[in-house]
Amino acid sequence: MASFDKKPTFAGLKLRLMNSWMFVAFFIGFFLFWEYSVLWFDIPLYILTPPSLIIENGAADLPRLLDYTLVTGTEVIIGYVLAVVLALPLGLAIAFSTILKRTIYPFIVCIEMVPKIAFAPLFISWLGFGLLPKVIIVFLVCFFPIVLNAILAFNSLSEELTLFSRSTGAGIWRTFFKVRLPAALPQCFVGFKYAAINATVGAAIAEFIGSDEGLGFYIQIVTGNMRPDLAFAGIFFLTLLGLCLFGLVTLAERLLIPWHISVRRN
Amino acid sequence: MSNQIKFSGVKKVFGSGPDAVHAFGPVDMVVEDGEFVSLLGPSGCGKSTLMLMTAGLLDLTEGSVSIGGTPVKGPQTDIGIMFQDNTLVPWRTVRGNIELQLEMRGISVASKRAEIDAILASVHLEDFADRHPYELSGGMQQRAAFCQAMIHAPNTMLLDEPLGKLDAMTRERIRSDLQSLWMEQRPTVLFVTHSIEEAIQLSSKVAVITPRPGRIERVIDIDLPYPRDYEVKRSPEFSAYVHETQEIFRGYGVI
Ligand SMILES: Nc1ncnc2c1ncn2[C@@H]1O[C@H](COP(=O)(O)OP(=O)(O)OP(=O)(O)O)[C@@H](O)[C@H]1O
Ligand SMILES: [Mg+2]
Repeated sequence: MASFDKKPTFAGLKLRLMNSWMFVAFFIGFFLFWEYSVLWFDIPLYILTPPSLIIENGAADLPRLLDYTLVTGTEVIIGYVLAVVLALPLGLAIAFSTILKRTIYPFIVCIEMVPKIAFAPLFISWLGFGLLPKVIIVFLVCFFPIVLNAILAFNSLSEELTLFSRSTGAGIWRTFFKVRLPAALPQCFVGFKYAAINATVGAAIAEFIGSDEGLGFYIQIVTGNMRPDLAFAGIFFLTLLGLCLFGLVTLAERLLIPWHISVRRN
Repeated sequence: MSNQIKFSGVKKVFGSGPDAVHAFGPVDMVVEDGEFVSLLGPSGCGKSTLMLMTAGLLDLTEGSVSIGGTPVKGPQTDIGIMFQDNTLVPWRTVRGNIELQLEMRGISVASKRAEIDAILASVHLEDFADRHPYELSGGMQQRAAFCQAMIHAPNTMLLDEPLGKLDAMTRERIRSDLQSLWMEQRPTVLFVTHSIEEAIQLSSKVAVITPRPGRIERVIDIDLPYPRDYEVKRSPEFSAYVHETQEIFRGYGVI
């Protein structure tokens, strides 16, 4: 699909650099300010540490950080994939079934109002400190935005395309695979991306509440030990994890719907 | 097989109760096999509504439509319909969109390669076959939509403002291409337009529709020789038809 390729030009690159240099400067300035204000204002190291120390001490504790990234990453990936695998078919079923739309749909909308994170203590008291309760929390956090966006996606085929499909006499399956599904993908991805952003939040909070490993556990423990430097290192890896998941979803979006305006714009 | 389209007491009311909109009819009309009939009327008079009812995509409130003697109940799959809003899907190229019509009908795409190339060439889009709709201008999209709507070579064509988004020059050219196509293959055509000149140039009959609720005020037989080129359009007979039609709309305060 050559027509989707953006040809990078020298002028374009120059323009992008010009546009981003202010951001880069601000970014660097921010960290310099942080670094030196800790010294200038004589902030005790157990309150706030300069970035250089975060990097240094974080690097020293790298094995543990990587181990815990793997733990939290596993929770996030399993929960997220489960949510996608279950929410998409359910959204589809609700979109096409009047009965489900009158029963399960209002129920889901109600549950959506409840902050899922609030269930975390309950799940941990029921299921213990292990992987399962975290996976369930991540799953809950991701499930609802995906279902709701999928329902919206499969219900909003344009009037013209609905009429067009009917005018060809195609059956429901053919219409589904050739028209409805591709037309619904962009809205589905809105849900996938929203869920991806929230997945790490769910995992971290679940770990705060009760766990003996993972980045959330790590951040809590080192904070208790008056080690903000290590807490920031943990936060950094948690952010990295979230970015990786979001990046994967965005990559999938680019591969699956390169024609869509949201992909073409950037 | 005959492709005569017959409207008997066709009426459409949208909604019910105090919010009901009487959109169209009642209307009686016969479009004979191989005729080119224009539906000419102001915006909102129910032209698209009539198209959809003819195609079996919209229920009638009263009356009946039949094509070739068979009453229309449900979508008519052996006609070609070009909707007012284009039905190109953004995830396929122009060629892919034309193929979509075939695939949806279970017609083998491989067996129609030559036809696809030919119809693209007929609307001068051969160089854009592998582009996506968003890479095309509005008028080019409309021409692509025409190809999509007609690739299965229907004997009955419903065209809802197919030339609406074209510039005056292209419009002139596609009009004459459409006319050649009709003269060659003699499909039955129902053609929606706002343009008085366009209706008179192309049609064997012009159905003049009143403002909403649309009724057929008059069906004018256009007795001019085909092909109708510039010569014909400059003739006094042509002007007389234009005048006759304008007078009707003036009577309704539309112009
Ligand atoms: N789905 C609908 N629900 C309610 N009213 C409708 C619907 N579709 C059309 N109408 C009404 O029916 C009338 C005729 O609409 P229609 O689209 O057939 O007009 P038209 O002659 O094709 O106009 P235009 O030239 O602007 O396309 C309009 O007044 C419109 O408000
Ligand atoms: Mg219309």
